[in-house]
Amino acid sequence: MDILVVLEDNHGSLHRMSKEAIAGAQKMGGSISALAIGANADAMAGELSGVDITEVITINHDLVSSYNADGYSDVVSEVIKSESPKTIVAGHSYQTRDFMPRVSAKLDIPFIPDIISMDNGIVKQVLNAKLNALVTTSADQVILSFQSAAFSEEAMVTGSCLTRSIEVNLDSSIVRSEAEEPFQEAAGGVDLESAELLVSIGRGIEKEENIQIAFDLAKALGAEVSASRPVVDSGWVEPFRQVGSSGQSVSPKLYFALGISGAIQHVVGMKGSENILAINKDSDAPIFEIADYAVVGDVLEIVPKLIEALHN
Amino acid sequence: MKIAVLVKQVPGSETALPILENQKWIDEEQVSFVMNPPDNFAIEEALLIKERTGDGEVVIVSMGPARVQKVIREGLAKGADRGIHLEEDGQIQTDPLSIAKSISSILMDENFDLVLTGLQSDDTGMGQTGVLIGEMLGMSTGTLVMETDVQDSAIRVKRELESGWFQWVKLPLPASISIQSGLNTPRYPSLRGIMGAKKKEIKVVSPSEHQTDAISQSIDKVFVSQTSKQTEMIEGNADSAVTRIIEILKSELKVL
Amino acid sequence: MSLAHFSIVEKVILAGLTLAALGSFSYEVLRRVLIVQKGLGSFPFDRFGERFLRVFREVILHEKVIRERPFPGLMHALVFWGFLVFGIVTIDHFAIGFYKPLMSDSVHHAYSKIVIPFAVFVIFGILSLTYRRFINRPKALGKISPTSGLVAVFIVVLMVTYIYGETDLSPLVWKMNWWIHSILILAFLFLIPRSKHLHLVLAPFNIFFRSFDQPDHTPVHIDLEGDEEELDAMLNDLTKLTKNQALDIFSCVECGRCTDVCPANRGGGILDPKYHFIMDLRKPLLEGKDVAVLDQINVEAGWECTTCMACTEVCPVGNHVEKSDEIRRLEVLVEGRVPQEYQKLFTNLQETGNTEGASSSPFADSFPVFTADKEYVLWLGCFARHGLDPNFNKSVENFTKILDVAGVTYGVLAEEQCSGDPANRLGDKLTYTMLREHNMEQLSETKKVVTLCPHCAVNLGKEYGKYDSINYTVEHHTQVIGRLIDEGKIKVKMGESGKVTYHDPCNLSRMLDIVDEPRTAIQAASSNFQEMEENGRNTLCCGAGGALWWKKETQGRTHLVRAEQVIESGADTVVTSCNFCYGMMKQGLGPLTPEGRVEVVVKDVADIVADNLV
Repeated sequence: MDILVVLEDNHGSLHRMSKEAIAGAQKMGGSISALAIGANADAMAGELSGVDITEVITINHDLVSSYNADGYSDVVSEVIKSESPKTIVAGHSYQTRDFMPRVSAKLDIPFIPDIISMDNGIVKQVLNAKLNALVTTSADQVILSFQSAAFSEEAMVTGSCLTRSIEVNLDSSIVRSEAEEPFQEAAGGVDLESAELLVSIGRGIEKEENIQIAFDLAKALGAEVSASRPVVDSGWVEPFRQVGSSGQSVSPKLYFALGISGAIQHVVGMKGSENILAINKDSDAPIFEIADYAVVGDVLEIVPKLIEALHN
Repeated sequence: MKIAVLVKQVPGSETALPILENQKWIDEEQVSFVMNPPDNFAIEEALLIKERTGDGEVVIVSMGPARVQKVIREGLAKGADRGIHLEEDGQIQTDPLSIAKSISSILMDENFDLVLTGLQSDDTGMGQTGVLIGEMLGMSTGTLVMETDVQDSAIRVKRELESGWFQWVKLPLPASISIQSGLNTPRYPSLRGIMGAKKKEIKVVSPSEHQTDAISQSIDKVFVSQTSKQTEMIEGNADSAVTRIIEILKSELKVL
Repeated sequence: MSLAHFSIVEKVILAGLTLAALGSFSYEVLRRVLIVQKGLGSFPFDRFGERFLRVFREVILHEKVIRERPFPGLMHALVFWGFLVFGIVTIDHFAIGFYKPLMSDSVHHAYSKIVIPFAVFVIFGILSLTYRRFINRPKALGKISPTSGLVAVFIVVLMVTYIYGETDLSPLVWKMNWWIHSILILAFLFLIPRSKHLHLVLAPFNIFFRSFDQPDHTPVHIDLEGDEEELDAMLNDLTKLTKNQALDIFSCVECGRCTDVCPANRGGGILDPKYHFIMDLRKPLLEGKDVAVLDQINVEAGWECTTCMACTEVCPVGNHVEKSDEIRRLEVLVEGRVPQEYQKLFTNLQETGNTEGASSSPFADSFPVFTADKEYVLWLGCFARHGLDPNFNKSVENFTKILDVAGVTYGVLAEEQCSGDPANRLGDKLTYTMLREHNMEQLSETKKVVTLCPHCAVNLGKEYGKYDSINYTVEHHTQVIGRLIDEGKIKVKMGESGKVTYHDPCNLSRMLDIVDEPRTAIQAASSNFQEMEENGRNTLCCGAGGALWWKKETQGRTHLVRAEQVIESGADTVVTSCNFCYGMMKQGLGPLTPEGRVEVVVKDVADIVADNLV
């Protein structure tokens, strides 16, 4: 096979990043096999029955019914050894980061992680996403992981594929870890600096009662909430949400600026954002000079409609 | 309890990044360097484990040119016991497998109970070194660790999963774990620590003693990302603006 | 006045009580003096005449006490002057009991014509102060103090018994009145050293020994090549009070003036200088009998201090109240406990010599480089070099424009590094040493420095001098501008419209005593200048001092308190002469400006002069 896509189980269904990885593999071209491991392997295979790949290989064994690094790295290594794919591909998820290097070391295959593009060679970001790097390898086989949203699950080409289940022999001594049940926890202090998406509030929100729509929008987007200094000073949000020269410096993938004028003390804290979408009533607001997307309009009118549209 | 903390010296976040003529990397002569920020949390966690268990040795390990001794000293000033410097000359290594092989060859004889790393480095950001070394030395591994709980011949770690989920996993020692940023409050070296660090041992391992020739991947070129800043004015009333925004979020930014 | 007769028994009792009171008084005072003697350093006797004059003005004339709180101050002055007048009366009083009166009847009678009015003043004074303390209950005075009540009662009764004693009384009543008066005096003696009334004894000395410069902290010499023993000794000394500081603790009158003027406290923070910097240390001092008590200072409060020195400026008994330097240096140098944002700041300073971690400064590159033929080194400071508020860069350019017009030559130092003020004020004396040594070398051929940043000026001009002798003079740009105007080298027209006010930067007014020159410059350009409240040396800090500019999560609204005052002043323009004040004003005025009002314009002195140059 040309490409082996290692799939990931997200609470019983296929992880979004696995679908993106399939789309990426299809774009690369060649024969594609997907690998589903664990108790939900069949369900995952079912989700891909209408996708244009060769097959989904399913493996279920007691020792890998749920994820653990030892078991998964062993199984994936065995499959790579027996199936000899040229390229192994996965989404750059927490899980991939946890076990894929083990596979890399076991088989001495280079692992190039967090790739943002395959159009003109393998490209990943370096130096805190300030620069891009072209990575090359001379090895016969390579493991790649794709950054979230580098490819789109919508781009998965439809078709049909088969399912093939494999039996593996796993020695119980392979799995040395003991995992307890996963649990959910409210995040503690929010770390704005590592947030991917930020909804940021400026004085254009006008009143304290309106702050809630920003939080609602953030929830709908899975984003964190930040704010400019005047909003913090007015006591409308907690101080740790402040972005600016005397607050946090952030560089999210998307900075949603609601009613922020773009005063320099604020801009220095967020100009590193990859994409800036600004909504402000004032067409002369300095924020529009650095925004990628500019909406001259009333935050109080647009945001509620946006939230509604997102829920649909 | 013998703990190795792998640290890296990386360019500072505010420093300008001039690219070399041959575009292979940035011109390090013109750049100021700092301790890789995530590594601070790993160092702190190692020191806390040492303090909690009451005994033990924390060893700071770093690979790079002579200048990296500075970050090793920083770790020593905070309370680590000694350091190991794997010297690099000429071309800086960016292949995780080669780096891991080098380091493993030196750590092997020391029989560490724990190897701690930061989550990833702020320069190349490969995020694999700790796990690679763990595999090469036959250790159990865990990543994105938010809390540690050392027990008899094992360490329980609270791993961060996606979307607000967490999971405790018990790993037998020896183990190699990568530390998630924010799990502790890194200390600042006291003056006694800084002065005392000068006397602590840093073993220097020359390139010939650890360097591997096999390079499996390399960075051929670095460049500024090509996006030109064109502001798109979204026109129309609130409804059409919302429609366009949803489209952008979905198809262009792919955050939905 | 009938010649009273005291029996032997009475004299013995009197002697006994007097000895007991004097003994107790002496013991308590000596006990405290011995603790003070353990303090580091020595008491200063230089500039004797100036010190003496200061004691005369502040103690005898009660200048500061009256100026800071006029009515209560005057009431206290009445009580104090009454006290002085009563000195000889009291001695005479006891002489009567032991032997015979010192004053002849006619002298006594004549003197009483002075004393009785004073006694009335004292009663009036004490009753007003008592009313204020127990009925009005101003916040600064804190909890109800029983000793204060007792003392008030004592003093009133003493005055009443004195006056009563001057009237015609039967021998028996006179004697009883005499004994009441005597016992109260002895009781007073007993009470004085055990309460804040010890200031009666200590304040004159404390004011005499007070430093002329603010702030006055012991320099921390760090020798990186030194041996471990020296280092240990130095670190141990960091917990110890100096003699002056120890004397301060015992002199405190708990009046709360320091808390009233503290910007951190006014902004809603927890810092209360009276308790955190002084009162909290009193018990440890007495109980431990030693001066190693600086580690008892509340750490969180210590980090809130803006090091503006308002507390020290206003203390009526000459205390150097502020001790954030002491607790911060313990936290940084000894404990290694530093808030994360400050760790980054220190790392930036160590790695790149500036607060921002930047590798270059295009702004600095835009100025001519200093060469020996130029008159001034123009010291830019990190704020301007790295655009902490890019608007301020225009003010720097305005200043150079003024210099150009006046034909004054200048250049910037190529290797200028941070003056070290943030490291110094935050307690990282090691990083401060590194920066200071570097800059001293850069300045080794320099004669004159001019800077727009008062923090840089304080460090280059005064703090550096505490470690090494300096070979250059430092001027603040307002001094240069003021001088150029006076000398006619630049002409300024009164073109500024609207009402203009001035915010004194704390580093400039209190630490450098530069108050007039900025006003000279402003009033050359504006005919409508009006002072703000709390101006000059009594200025209220903008909130950015003590490196708080870099503190991410601020507890209170310190930075907004002064901005509010600016808005209330009704001014159209506020002028300031410090880059931090400039940045803080720009950030604070926007959100506080009420609807419908135009936002107050913020200008530096260089701006208002450059805008109106002829």
